[in-house]
Amino acid sequence: MDSSNIYKKSGFDFSNQIRNNFLAAKGVPVPKATSTGTTIVGCLFKDGIVLGADTRATAGEIIADKNCEKVVNPSCCGAGTAADTEFTTALISSNLELHSLSTGRKPRVVTAMTMLKQMLFQYQGHIGAALVLGGVDVTGPHLFTIHPHGSTDKLPYVTMGSGSLAAMAVFEAGWKAGMERQEAIDLVSAAISAGIFNDLGSGSNVDVCVITKERTDMLRNYIKPNERVTKERHYKFTRGTTAYQSENIRKYIVDESITYLTGSATTATTAEEAMDVS
Amino acid sequence: MNTLVSRFTSSSSTELKALDSRDPDYGENEASDITWGSLGGFGNLGLNGIPSFNIPTVPDPTAFLRLHTDDAADSSCRIKIQHGTTTLAFRFQGGVIVAVDSRATAGSYIASGTVKKVIEINPHLLGTMAGGAADCQFWETYLGSQCRIYELRNRERISVAAASKYLSNLVYSYKGMGLSMGTMICGWDKTGPAIFYVDSDGTRLKGDVFSVGSGSTFAYGVLDQGYRWDLTDEEAQELGRRSIYAAGHRDAFSGNTCNLYHVKEDGWKFIGNYDITKLHYEGSQGAAYGYDQRTQ
Amino acid sequence: MSHYTRTQSQQHPTQRQFNPYTENGGTILAIAGADFSVIAGDTRQSEGYSIQTRYAPKVFKLTDKAVLAVNGFAADGNMFVKKVKQRLEWYRHAHSKDMPLRSIARLIQTMLYAQRFFPYYVYNILGGIEEDGTGAVYSFDPVGSYEREACRAAGSAQSLVQPFLDNQIYFKNQTPVLGTSHPTHLPLRHVVQLVIDSFTSATERHIEVGDGVELYIILARGRGTQGLDSFKDVQELTPHAEGERLFVLRRELKKD
Repeated sequence: MDSSNIYKKSGFDFSNQIRNNFLAAKGVPVPKATSTGTTIVGCLFKDGIVLGADTRATAGEIIADKNCEKVVNPSCCGAGTAADTEFTTALISSNLELHSLSTGRKPRVVTAMTMLKQMLFQYQGHIGAALVLGGVDVTGPHLFTIHPHGSTDKLPYVTMGSGSLAAMAVFEAGWKAGMERQEAIDLVSAAISAGIFNDLGSGSNVDVCVITKERTDMLRNYIKPNERVTKERHYKFTRGTTAYQSENIRKYIVDESITYLTGSATTATTAEEAMDVS
Repeated sequence: MNTLVSRFTSSSSTELKALDSRDPDYGENEASDITWGSLGGFGNLGLNGIPSFNIPTVPDPTAFLRLHTDDAADSSCRIKIQHGTTTLAFRFQGGVIVAVDSRATAGSYIASGTVKKVIEINPHLLGTMAGGAADCQFWETYLGSQCRIYELRNRERISVAAASKYLSNLVYSYKGMGLSMGTMICGWDKTGPAIFYVDSDGTRLKGDVFSVGSGSTFAYGVLDQGYRWDLTDEEAQELGRRSIYAAGHRDAFSGNTCNLYHVKEDGWKFIGNYDITKLHYEGSQGAAYGYDQRTQ
Repeated sequence: MSHYTRTQSQQHPTQRQFNPYTENGGTILAIAGADFSVIAGDTRQSEGYSIQTRYAPKVFKLTDKAVLAVNGFAADGNMFVKKVKQRLEWYRHAHSKDMPLRSIARLIQTMLYAQRFFPYYVYNILGGIEEDGTGAVYSFDPVGSYEREACRAAGSAQSLVQPFLDNQIYFKNQTPVLGTSHPTHLPLRHVVQLVIDSFTSATERHIEVGDGVELYIILARGRGTQGLDSFKDVQELTPHAEGERLFVLRRELKKD
């Protein structure tokens, strides 16, 4: 048992906050969290819900990850600060599991939504998680957006992130009630593609997740419209390119003996042979 | 306005008007006759060779400039002007040694490692570059043409004192407007070898040993312990090189290579360009400057 | 609505700073060879997370032997190119010839420095052929300090491309194999390949680079087109083969 846990509260550790605010006020640059300047969407169809996301993660104007997973667990997409969405959904997901074990019922989407919004509201927007939450429970399919400050929306088709306007334009043009499964997948991938090509914060591939009453299908990299092109040249360095000031080769094997399990047991010193690594 | 008419009329009012850069009719907005014809290509130099500048129409132009260009006060400013340097010059028995590094930084980025920080004003005068790269480059080139005009008018070379004073007076007239230069005007005239330190505050100093820039403290350290008046040419050149190496090694805003010049009675001579990393590991002739001491 | 209530409740006058600048992204790059020069730029123009256009040229032909690339604030850049072209036309009328490259470089310095107290937010790279027939690249800072170099990258992906160029052109951090030495000038085909790879790589990792790339290739007087023949879609911009020859090579880049 770790005895320090008795004196330490669980949850976030604020011990560096005053120091960091002081440093920030002094002009020391604050380290940047990886943010998933993102397009995430969700839409309702006949049998359930389709969620979609792009796969670009950015740190400022640099692309940090070209193929990240934003469909965090198969019912929730995250935008905003990458670490916040990941940890918040993981926490709620485990709480939801405990809740379902103690009640003996399958969890409902509204329960997850309420837990998320209560947590995010409690932290007044400091947890930068922006989520699209969708799922099918005993009461039917549900689709929510949850903003970092804790406000939520329940709509038949939703978009979030920096590419939300581009994606919503596609939904507004093409969504209709009671779509078939493939129709919905096509619409979602068109919406994500709109984000990928028109929003600089979004890019690379389309991830799709289809949730129905029976099953959840994760269609990872459903479309790959941005494959890396082949380079014009090969960049292989010849041996001896890296400069060095001195050379020092050590012998680690001082003595080596071989014992034959069958036949005569002869012992040979093979250190010279073993060190031939030039 | 006709070029010929304006050139031969003595009406001072028209000439004064042409100089007022704050006049909205002047300069870039309306092309004056001097910008084309055979005088085309002289940039913002007016008829009498005095440059004019376009100034933003805001209550405080200097604050405007600082807001957008001063990366020392605000690292997120958009226009990053190149800065950062070590330069030195010293007088000794054999003339003047001028040594500089070659790094230009814009914020924390090394914008260039091959900058010419010694500006060859004319065959007898050298200027050094510290502070704003464009300010030094422009005004010292401009000083070069003024020195040539002096020669044509007076049938003799300009003294180092006069040339440096010309520059000093010029930058003083822009005081407080945001120019940033710290320069040494070095040369040989009737009085012998001479160095004048001139900066954008208006300071002008005559002296034997100067070092300017962010790495100057490191350079002074080496320079002062090795400086004597009766240094031989080779010793003096080695001292200049060694001082710039020290600054390049310890100052993050200086480095890459060292440019070395030697001014004698018959004008300046370029001695060489030395890679500072190479000086560290191999030295210039013989022992390495830094590596051996650190690894033995 | 809230805007009005705020102004009414304001007790003290506030000062708004005049800010005429924005950053429009993109990257430019130029490499000089022994008897040629390559100047390139991507064609995306953006502001924040939005693409304003997928085709806005950043590289401009000035004369048959001079090409200028501008990057930074697009409005300033376009105005600056316009004024440089105007001055070069006046020079042509006065002297019946094109301005030499080194003179164009000095002209650009004086034009930028004239705006010392109200700078153009523009990084310029000038490439072309010098009067002695050598390939040249001049790079400028926003207020006019300039330098002749063998290669230079500028713009938003400068910090991604320049280290690559330092390694591949200047052979920085590469020791030659014993008994050989690094070449001082690379052949044209090699240089064009490096430029294309610089842009495809910058597109992979920088959000503001993409859509397309335009390469301008200037060949010195009397130089053949060797090294250029293996690339398709090369278009000649000069009407005849005497004198310097100017080519443009356009390639698509990823659009995400």
